[in-house]
Amino acid sequence: MAYSEKVIDHYENPRNVGKMDAEDPDVGTGMVGAPACGDVMRLQIKVNEQGIIEDAKFKTYGCGSAIASSSLATEWMKGKTLDEAETIKNTQLAEELALPPVKIHCSVLAEDAIKAAVRDYKQKKGLI
Amino acid sequence: MGTPCHFALFELQPSFNLDLDQLATRYRELARGVHPDRFADASEREQRLALEQSASLNEAYQTLKNPPKRARYLLAMGGRELPLEVTVHDPEFLLQQMELREELEDLSDMDGVAAFKRRLKLAQDELNQSFAACWDDAAQRDQAERLMRRMQFLDKLTYEVRQLEERLDD
Repeated sequence: MAYSEKVIDHYENPRNVGKMDAEDPDVGTGMVGAPACGDVMRLQIKVNEQGIIEDAKFKTYGCGSAIASSSLATEWMKGKTLDEAETIKNTQLAEELALPPVKIHCSVLAEDAIKAAVRDYKQKKGLI
Repeated sequence: MGTPCHFALFELQPSFNLDLDQLATRYRELARGVHPDRFADASEREQRLALEQSASLNEAYQTLKNPPKRARYLLAMGGRELPLEVTVHDPEFLLQQMELREELEDLSDMDGVAAFKRRLKLAQDELNQSFAACWDDAAQRDQAERLMRRMQFLDKLTYEVRQLEERLDD
C-alpha cells in the first residue's frame, strides 16, 4: 500500500518525538494501544499557567500511519487550550494525512491519545 | 446458522487449554478427508462442498492454534461483539510494552534475543494461565477481555522478535 507524501514526511521526520516527566504536575500523559496491530502510543503535553499547551511529545511503536497521526497531533496541539485540543478529531487527522480507509483506526488511536493526555492532566489538577 | 463451531469441527469441547500436538494431528487427518485431490472425479457440487469444508477447517485450525485468536473466539462465543480495532487504556501494561519495544530496538546479537524470547515466553505463559482460569466466568468477563487484548500485544511482540532474528541472521 502506498503512503501519502504527508505520511512519509511525518514518518521520516517525526515532529516532537520524546518523553516528558510523567510525574511533573504540569504534564499530562496519554497511553493508548491498538491490540489488533500491537501499536503502542504515548502522547504527553505540558500545560502552562494560562492553560495553554506549550509543548507536546510523543513516542509511537506502530506503522507509518500511526506514527504520522501522533506526530501531526502533537503539532496541532501546541499553542492550543485544553478545550481546543480536545476538539481535534480523528477525521481531521486522517484527512490531512490522506489516510486510506484501512488506516483510519490509526488516527482514531491518536485522537484517543489526545483525550487521554488531557484527561490525565485535568485529573492531576483536580479539574475533573 | 448451522455452521459447527471451531471446536466442534475437531470434536473438542470449547476450552482454552488445548493439546496443540493433538490438534495438529487431528487437523491433518481431517484435511486429508476433504483435500481437493480426492474430489477430482466428483461432481461439481461435491467439489465445491469439499472446498468449503477445507476452507472452514483451515480457518478453525488457524484460530484455535493461536492463543490470542483462540481467546478472542472463546469470548465471542458468548454472543458479545468483540471489535477487532479498539483502543485500550491499560496504562501500566502499555508502559511495559513500550519499554519492551525499546529494549528490543537495542538488541543486536542472538544471545540478547534468546534471553528476550525466554522472558516473553514466560510472560505469555503467565497470561495464558490467567486467561484459562477466568474466561468462562461471567463475573470476570472484563478481566478476561483485558487479558485477551494483552495476549494480542505479546503476539505482535513475538512477531517483531522474529523479524529481528531474520535481520540478524542475514
